[in-house]
Amino acid sequence: MALPAAVLHILIALADGDSHGYAIMQEVAARTDGALRLGPGTLYGSLKRMLHDGLIEELDERQGAGRDDARRRYYRITPRGRKTARAEIARLAKLVRQARATTLAVKHS
Amino acid sequence: MHRLYRALLRLYPAEFRDEYGREMAQMVRDRIAREPRARLWIDLLRDLLRTAPKEHAHVLLNDVRYAVRLIRRAPMFTAAVVGTVALAIAANTAIFFSVVNAVLLRPLPFAEPGRLIQVAEKNDALGLPNFGASVLNLLSWRERARSVDALSAIGFSSFTLSGLGEPEQLSGNRVSPSLMPLLGLAPVAGRAFTPDEERPGAPPVAMIGEGLWARRFGRDPAVVGRAVTLNGLPVTIVGVAPRALNLISGGDVYVPLTIDPSKEIRLNHVIFVAGRLKPRVTIQQAQAEFDTIAQAVAAAYPEMRDWGVHLLTFFDTFVSAQLKTGLLVLLGAVAFVLLIACANIANLLLSRSASRQKEIAVRVAMGATQSRVLRQLLVESVALSAIGGAIGIVAAVWAVRAINASLPPNLLPVPAVRVDAVVLSFAAGLTLLAGLIFGIAPACYTAKTDVHDMLKHTARPAGGGSGARVRSALAAAELALATLLLVGAGLLLESFLNLQRVRLGFEPRGLLTFQLAPPTSRYPLTDKAPGFYRALLESLRAAPGVRGAAVSSGIPFGQGNYTTSPLQASGPSALPADAAVPIDWRIVSPGYFKTMSIPLLRGRDFSDAEGAGAPAVAIVSQATARKFFGDMDPIGRSLHRAADARPFAIVGVVGDVRSTTLNQESPAIYYPLSTRAWPLMDVVVRADVPPETLLPALRQKVHEIDGELPLATVRTMDEWLSASAAQPRLSATLLGAFAAVAVLIAAIGIYGVIAYSVNQRTREIGLRMALGARPGGVMRLIVKEGMIVAAAGIGAGLAAASLLGRGAARLDPMDALRCD
Repeated sequence: MALPAAVLHILIALADGDSHGYAIMQEVAARTDGALRLGPGTLYGSLKRMLHDGLIEELDERQGAGRDDARRRYYRITPRGRKTARAEIARLAKLVRQARATTLAVKHS
Repeated sequence: MHRLYRALLRLYPAEFRDEYGREMAQMVRDRIAREPRARLWIDLLRDLLRTAPKEHAHVLLNDVRYAVRLIRRAPMFTAAVVGTVALAIAANTAIFFSVVNAVLLRPLPFAEPGRLIQVAEKNDALGLPNFGASVLNLLSWRERARSVDALSAIGFSSFTLSGLGEPEQLSGNRVSPSLMPLLGLAPVAGRAFTPDEERPGAPPVAMIGEGLWARRFGRDPAVVGRAVTLNGLPVTIVGVAPRALNLISGGDVYVPLTIDPSKEIRLNHVIFVAGRLKPRVTIQQAQAEFDTIAQAVAAAYPEMRDWGVHLLTFFDTFVSAQLKTGLLVLLGAVAFVLLIACANIANLLLSRSASRQKEIAVRVAMGATQSRVLRQLLVESVALSAIGGAIGIVAAVWAVRAINASLPPNLLPVPAVRVDAVVLSFAAGLTLLAGLIFGIAPACYTAKTDVHDMLKHTARPAGGGSGARVRSALAAAELALATLLLVGAGLLLESFLNLQRVRLGFEPRGLLTFQLAPPTSRYPLTDKAPGFYRALLESLRAAPGVRGAAVSSGIPFGQGNYTTSPLQASGPSALPADAAVPIDWRIVSPGYFKTMSIPLLRGRDFSDAEGAGAPAVAIVSQATARKFFGDMDPIGRSLHRAADARPFAIVGVVGDVRSTTLNQESPAIYYPLSTRAWPLMDVVVRADVPPETLLPALRQKVHEIDGELPLATVRTMDEWLSASAAQPRLSATLLGAFAAVAVLIAAIGIYGVIAYSVNQRTREIGLRMALGARPGGVMRLIVKEGMIVAAAGIGAGLAAASLLGRGAARLDPMDALRCD
């Protein structure tokens, strides 16, 4: 089962450190050169389901204290989230390899 | 701008908004500072439209999952609710809506049926509101009417088809060539009639109906152009007519209705006239025009005084008022069953909600809002009703098949009742509505739960006292409604049984009937035909097992010629001078009354001596005699038709006969066969043996005289009678089925109430038994409780029934449910 693109992007954005919603959105935009701007509904809808599925966890106030903006809610990737992201990336890599082996890719290379 | 986005956040489910709304608004505030406005708004709106429905769907999906889990956990409760919904939906969909849809809602199979009308003649003085039209009047209307596009005529006819092996007797219509274009119908094969074929002397052509085409010719297109013999004359088949052309019954053969004004009489009301209103002309406007035309016609032709024109929509023509009433009575029954079902399910849900109050209290304590709980409960009730509805629809499809199989043909003015998309969407809508309606009260009741109370007193749910009273009242109300329905069904059944015992005026047992139509080309009606029947009857009477044989132009309850014409007394009478009364007339052979066991009360029967040249005589029924002559002796007095002054001397009086409908006696006059026959005659044979066994011998006797003559519509009189009682029987059966369903549902309801109450009182019962109560005593206590509810319900139902009965006493239920 493929992960929704937004979910994978969020997992990647959280891979190197905890972050809050707006920062995640900016991170994703930066990584995609501004091509993907996660809207608020998409972002928080995804976060909600990722919390439910145990891919990420929300930091409590104590853990959040001392960050650059204490009023925001911070999210952290879980081991399960890392595992899921890795599996998805491997799946995509395999897909790209298979595609490269066909005539589809020849014209571009 | 930021405020606007906060308002738009309301589009998300409340929970989602509560959880993330603040963050989302904050995020937008951050982005406003850094991004170009127009682009940001497009992004935001797209995001909103994509994700808000998704969040709602997630919530709903969760509710459904939760509901399914609960449904699985309480199989008995689920079965009771689902069973009730299934019964109600099946009964409603199958019996009511399929039939109503077929009869009242489905459009007639013609182009723009709303513009089609019947042009009938009427005579208020004679009490004939809707009578056939005459050909000469049709011509006058065609000449003057501007409000209609076209006027076409249809007349009944019977045909003998020969020259193709076994001769067959068929019924058909003479139709104006303009009829098919008027209705917007096209031939299935070949061509329709051309306007030229309306003129007398045109080459003889015919169309055959789709049914005959399939039955006799295996749908062979080569039938077009084929020469056949109809009524002894060679005719070319030019086309095959679609089933929808069969407007007024008898759709096997169609021939052009030729018009020869010199041979027509203006008072000869024998045709059905159909018309198409011009676009944007209302039937009232057309009626006004036809009223003027009728006045002009009456001024020009004195015999037309008292006659007017009555326009009817096709809908009114083909869906009789009585049928409409009958269906409305069924509609009432349907509403009852639905009401009972909803009450029942509300009751079951209420019982259950009491036991779920703790669970709900826990959810509320954990932060669920009241609207959230309400939504959850409604999803549950809709899920339950959806399962019930699905089962109900499947059952309905089966029931409709069963109804179709048991329905006598031609009972309803449509080919067949079926479950189509309209019916299915009705059932689905009904299911959803039922789920919402029966779910809403218990859901509100449950959602109001007081958390603190509930969590404190965990031992016993609150609402025991008043809740139990509400539930008992609901169960009693269900039973009251069911009782009412049962009484209604019982009344219908009684009138139906009364019909079976009705005095017919003749003895139906042991009578075999069939129809003959000797072609008039070989047997002219006033010349050879009477002789043919005399010879035939003599030969039939000689057959073993035959006690009597006779012919009539129309036997009671048969398919013969039901002819009525206004009569006047030719001398002193009990009526005001010149008053005319419509009287059914029949042509009968000597011995008809004896064969039918109709008592001859005064005077004598016809004899074979009444040939051409002899004085014109007639026999009247007792009701006719009383109508015209009161207490005077009718023998020797005379009657004449309103249309011509030739008097018929009355030579005999016979008993009254119920001849068209079981619940109506019709005054009659009988003319002797010896002077004139009718193209299609009913032969009746009274047998000493089971009548069906005589058929081969009778057929042989007919063929000894004419080998080309088919015996049509062979039936016993009992079969005719049972067909005529089919509609009342169907009504009684349907209402009976409804009542049975209602009682069943009410029983489930009472069971639900008692079972719940026992469940709630387990501790009390245990205590009683520990203190020495016997099982029998406990049982008595509980049964008593149920009996109180039952007695209250049945009592209320009976009281309501007697109240309604007083109002309905003026209304004969049979009249209400009959259809012609």
